Amino acid sequence: MLRILLINDTAKKVGRLKAALTEAGFEVIDESGLTIDLPGRVETVRPDVILIDTESPSRDVMEQVVLVSRDQPRPIVMFTDEHDPGVMRQAIKSGVSAYIVEGIHAQRLQPILDVAMARFESDQALRAQLHARDQQLAERKRIELAKGLLMKMKTCNEEEAYTLMRRQAMSRQQKLIQVAEQIIAMSELLG
Amino acid sequence: MIEPHTGPLAWVNGSDAPEKTEINLGFMALSDCASVVVAATQGFAQPYGLTLNLKRQSSWASLRDNLVSGQIDAAHSLYGLIYAVHLGIGGVAATDMAVLMGLNQNGQSINLSHGLQALGVTRPEALQQHVHQSRSKLTFAQTFPTGTHAMWLYYWLASQGIHPLQDVDSVVVPPQQMVAHLQAGRIDGFCVGEPWAASAVKQNMGFTLSTTQALWPDHPEKVLGCTKAFVEQYPNTARALVMAILEASRFIEQSAENRRSTAQLLSAPEYLNAPVECIEPRLLGDYHDGLGNHWQDPHALRFHGDGAVNLPYLSDGMWFMTQFRRWGLLREDPDYLGIARQVQQLALYRDAASAVGVTAGTTDMRSSQLIDGKVWDGTDPAAYARSFALHAMSANTPLLARR
Repeated sequence: MLRILLINDTAKKVGRLKAALTEAGFEVIDESGLTIDLPGRVETVRPDVILIDTESPSRDVMEQVVLVSRDQPRPIVMFTDEHDPGVMRQAIKSGVSAYIVEGIHAQRLQPILDVAMARFESDQALRAQLHARDQQLAERKRIELAKGLLMKMKTCNEEEAYTLMRRQAMSRQQKLIQVAEQIIAMSELLG
Repeated sequence: MIEPHTGPLAWVNGSDAPEKTEINLGFMALSDCASVVVAATQGFAQPYGLTLNLKRQSSWASLRDNLVSGQIDAAHSLYGLIYAVHLGIGGVAATDMAVLMGLNQNGQSINLSHGLQALGVTRPEALQQHVHQSRSKLTFAQTFPTGTHAMWLYYWLASQGIHPLQDVDSVVVPPQQMVAHLQAGRIDGFCVGEPWAASAVKQNMGFTLSTTQALWPDHPEKVLGCTKAFVEQYPNTARALVMAILEASRFIEQSAENRRSTAQLLSAPEYLNAPVECIEPRLLGDYHDGLGNHWQDPHALRFHGDGAVNLPYLSDGMWFMTQFRRWGLLREDPDYLGIARQVQQLALYRDAASAVGVTAGTTDMRSSQLIDGKVWDGTDPAAYARSFALHAMSANTPLLARR
């Protein structure tokens, strides 16, 4: 059964989502107001899905969502009365997997959750890929920087510099990037 | 799909951009995985927008399973393993496979135990006599039922008049466990890649009776293998991967110093986890057989040879099928040439080679003479398979080595 962390800020409608969830057969493992530390709650409760029921998501809410998405990503479904497309875009950008305006019906919850989970998984795969690309690009820049420094230090050409760096890395059972970092650090020290 | 690169890497967005940028690359702990490890750790793939994640495998069988299931995208593979999977031999459903490039030639060894040495079995003729006179069967280990080591062992034994499936027993043992099995007396000899044969000699547990380059100078050995589906889905990634590994292969062979640093790198715990003293000498062609003989081998393990090593010749792929047929692993002649054309990715290889300035000739076959004097040049494979005095073609059941 899915572990659901439910966040409510609509005092006047308290319980509308919880009732719908219970009716649909879900287990709500925690229910909190919006003033909580969301990343902290996620850490403790370890939910499968986070549901946020809010009249209108504030900037504070968005920030909390961003933190969760960055550090302990989960599918996040937001139920709200806010129609403003700008707010909706902001919410999606912050890491919300599904943004549902009004109309919580027990029978619609399952498909909404299914879509949110699928969307979340594909986002995660994409995010991992982008992260790998960024890192790869960063490594490449660092290696080029070190190569340039070495060419100056040893007055050698590009290919010779690469060969020297690679031999050094291999003899020490390291990766090229590690030797590049050592060269950069040494150069900063002697700078 | 979000395309993140603009600016300095804008060219990556062109039609040559790898469709998949992170590759899980399988390998076995063997000296001949060097070009794969060097490519992944020494910055050869980054310029092509690829990140290579090395995944060491514990046995050839698990490497095969992970390759077929997609756990790993491409792998340092035995030639025969790729063909066996493609043909559906050996207890797995047939999956279309691809050979992207040759990774190396030569450098495997057939070793015998100290026990046999003590009995005076130190030469091929003595082994032949022993096998035919002794009442108990000797047990030889290789690394995979259809792998290169099985085929070298069978071919070599047969060339000495020993039927590999009748006169001796065969077992499969993962390469890195060979020495332990020899030490425990469970096997009398083995055929394996380095550093495990040199390691046995170094630990005074027997000797090298023959190298595989003595059996076939510049024989095909490991390839970069993947599923056909992978090449079809990610052709740019596959080509970039070949380019990176070609450049790493060229780098390893650029100087003796580069080869020595390669040996150092390989000895690390995450790669071979073996002393550099067991890796470096034979990687540099410096052979001690454990019987007091010492020589500089002209056909030692090589990774590039100006590209001669890396072209996936059709005749190399076909040779393994002829041996599967010879030993009854195939009950009928396959369409040797047709299958080799499907598996060997010659066009993709030639694209990659020309992009990094490596010569790739226009011929798809090569000619070799093996230890028994027979010439293999890819013509009439069915007749070649049928031309051996010792074989198992009429066997009713395929004689797979016991697992």
